[in-house]
Amino acid sequence: MAGKGGAAPSTYSPSPTTQKTKSRIFGNDDVDWVRSDGREFHQCRPAFFKTGAVNAAAGSAYAEFGNTKVIVSVFGPRESKKAMMYSDIGRLNCNVSYTTFATPVRGQGSDHKEFSSMLHKALEGAIILETFPKTTVDVFALVLESGGSDLPVVISCASLALADAGIMMYDLVTSVSVSGLGKNLVIDPILEEESYQDGSLMLTCMPSRYEVTQLTITGEWSTPKINEGMQICLDACSKLAVVMRACLKGPDSTLEE
Amino acid sequence: MEIDRLDGRTPNQLRPLACSRNVLNRAHGSASWCQGDTKVLVAVYGPKAGTKKNENPEKACIEIIWKPKTGLSGKLEREYEMILKRTLQSICILTLNPNTTTSVIIQVVNDDGALLPCAINAACAALVDAGIPLKYLAVAICCCLAESGYVILDPSKLEEQKMKAFAYLVFPNSVLSIHPEEQLQVGGEPMEHGIITSVTQGAMSVDDYLHCLERGRAATAKMSAFLRKSLQPQLPIDSSKAGLVDKIFGYNILQLY
Amino acid sequence: MALPDASGDVLSEMDVDAFRRLFPLRFFETHLVKSTRPDGRSLAEARETSSALGAVASADGSALVKIGSTRMLAAIKMEVMTPSKESPDEGCIAIDFHMPPICSPTVRPGRPAEAAPVVSKQLSDTILRQVKCLSCCSFCGMINLKELSLISGKAAWMAYLDIYCLDADGALFDAALLSAVAAFSHLQIPVVSMNDDGKVVVLSGDHGGKEPVNKGKRKLTLSSIPLSLTCLLHKNYILADPTAEEESVMETLVTVVLDSSGQLVSLYKPGGPVLAYTSAIQDCVALTRQRARELQTILDEVTSGMEVD
Repeated sequence: MAGKGGAAPSTYSPSPTTQKTKSRIFGNDDVDWVRSDGREFHQCRPAFFKTGAVNAAAGSAYAEFGNTKVIVSVFGPRESKKAMMYSDIGRLNCNVSYTTFATPVRGQGSDHKEFSSMLHKALEGAIILETFPKTTVDVFALVLESGGSDLPVVISCASLALADAGIMMYDLVTSVSVSGLGKNLVIDPILEEESYQDGSLMLTCMPSRYEVTQLTITGEWSTPKINEGMQICLDACSKLAVVMRACLKGPDSTLEE
Repeated sequence: MEIDRLDGRTPNQLRPLACSRNVLNRAHGSASWCQGDTKVLVAVYGPKAGTKKNENPEKACIEIIWKPKTGLSGKLEREYEMILKRTLQSICILTLNPNTTTSVIIQVVNDDGALLPCAINAACAALVDAGIPLKYLAVAICCCLAESGYVILDPSKLEEQKMKAFAYLVFPNSVLSIHPEEQLQVGGEPMEHGIITSVTQGAMSVDDYLHCLERGRAATAKMSAFLRKSLQPQLPIDSSKAGLVDKIFGYNILQLY
Repeated sequence: MALPDASGDVLSEMDVDAFRRLFPLRFFETHLVKSTRPDGRSLAEARETSSALGAVASADGSALVKIGSTRMLAAIKMEVMTPSKESPDEGCIAIDFHMPPICSPTVRPGRPAEAAPVVSKQLSDTILRQVKCLSCCSFCGMINLKELSLISGKAAWMAYLDIYCLDADGALFDAALLSAVAAFSHLQIPVVSMNDDGKVVVLSGDHGGKEPVNKGKRKLTLSSIPLSLTCLLHKNYILADPTAEEESVMETLVTVVLDSSGQLVSLYKPGGPVLAYTSAIQDCVALTRQRARELQTILDEVTSGMEVD
């Protein structure tokens, strides 16, 4: 009745996806180019955070960085799955999924296994798991719209949701990524920049303790480049932490970096 | 109000009903129910120990498995499962067997219109056969509304497709109580006029719907008489069945109807 | 349980919150006899409802709807398909309702919520109910599928409507239907043309010398908009627009859908311990009439706001 003729007919998106010539001017080192949203290379997008986005959850947060929009809900600590073995410390369970309309071309809206496990690793070190033995804390993220730097936004948003749920942590976890485009490093890349990048570096840290919980590098990087990228990320992370802390303390706040 | 039905029935005439109980050997209770060419086979297993997750352990849990005639079950089957579950939950006395699960398996043998009502009637007969304690029986009927506003009952598949709208209605059967003063009346209406379940499709005016209700109620009186007759205890008790106690229990319950 | 005459003592001795958890039914009944509800609403009152259009930039039409704490995000993406041989000049609409694990503690990843396919099916039935009307006109539903045609027999639009429940707090179907209607009213069909390979592509600003296929057909005409209200029956009380807690304590739900012309599109009562008598049905329909007017005003406000900017 709904989909006439039983099996859904095959469809395609009319938006052009591949016709752009590769890497317009990004790779060209001689030309001075500006980012499509007018930011400087080392300037993050305006960050907006809001806690308590989902009433049904123990804690939740909504984050919006430009077009990247994410909701994270935290449930628990609650009973672990029956099949789980006894554990002296608590468990952390993470899941990241995308909506079907998150990406420019309609997706399947399925779970993102890779991001789920990376979110788990990024948060695990910051949570005091000893405070909720035998139980599980579930961190579920839904990317409403993907506008680039999805995982760093999910991670920062998740730590805010955990704080909102009152889960004990050593510190907030913030995450920022940079993309290497030619000789330039651009921070907090948008989707278009990510698709042309030569390499990416994502750093997750606990800013007050100045400790890194996760570092992911893809592509070809020289050691000085890595140092530069890490320093940019660490600086941005501590600034991001200020915004997040302000959100936890006061009523909803928007701050521009 | 004259209408020619394909099979020469009058608008109020139902197709021939047939019900046989105890048709399956292994199931704790079973029944097959035919309305014309629509035939449904139902098996009941249980009550088994324990309830599923997210179910109230202080009550008995009912699990429905809908098997379509061919193919895999999809959204339609899920919806039917949910409607059947809620309908059967409302007629069973759930507090008698707390923390148990009763499985009801619906196998569609042939679909020639009014499938869901047929399945509800069959499930009801199978529950009685299994000796599950019930408050009252449920009687289901399909009312169809044609363009010109007349109502026909128990449509075949062809008739269903030609109609503007239809309503699946489920009513309780009239209770023959041993205490005559207990003739249940709610707000001036006899109990069997109350709707257990109503599912409609297509647009109709509210008056048309109320008209359907009236016609449905009148027809279910006849059906409930048939149901009661076919559920008379099958003596002598079939000794091939292990559930002797169930049978006796079922017999006792039947006296109340 | 304590005797009825001792209930006053029980209430004062026990923390209200503990009482609410231990004896949820009695907690609600103490409110109901005073014709009020724990959140301060009267029985027939629906929760505060709001809607915002264009929440998702990557979709062709989108809407965010809030009814109390229940929140729905609906987005439509338009894709191109080859129409079927039986109806060469009709497009198609695919409706899906999702309950991601973020929306409720009962949903776990990998195991879809029980309610999701049921609501999905109900939405499809309500929005695309032209099937039963082959004899009168080709459509009686909200959307004429002929408007989704691009080139007869060759190309037509497939509208993917996906509704995500972001926060589940009762009356999911009502919120989902409202968000679906709002998303369709926000939908802007992209201007497209046929390229040399016979594929349909979006025209960018300068048209590139190509003739658009669908000039002036950027909005769908929405006729007979369906709007709904879910009511909860408990004893002789009728509670409009129940929260998730109310739904779990008192289980009998009746969902009434009416279209703009007052026709009954659906009267949905899936079982439940309370029987619905004619008077209760009429009361529910009357409440829905009133609610549909409220919702129509909300929809008119957001769509008129859209035209300004």
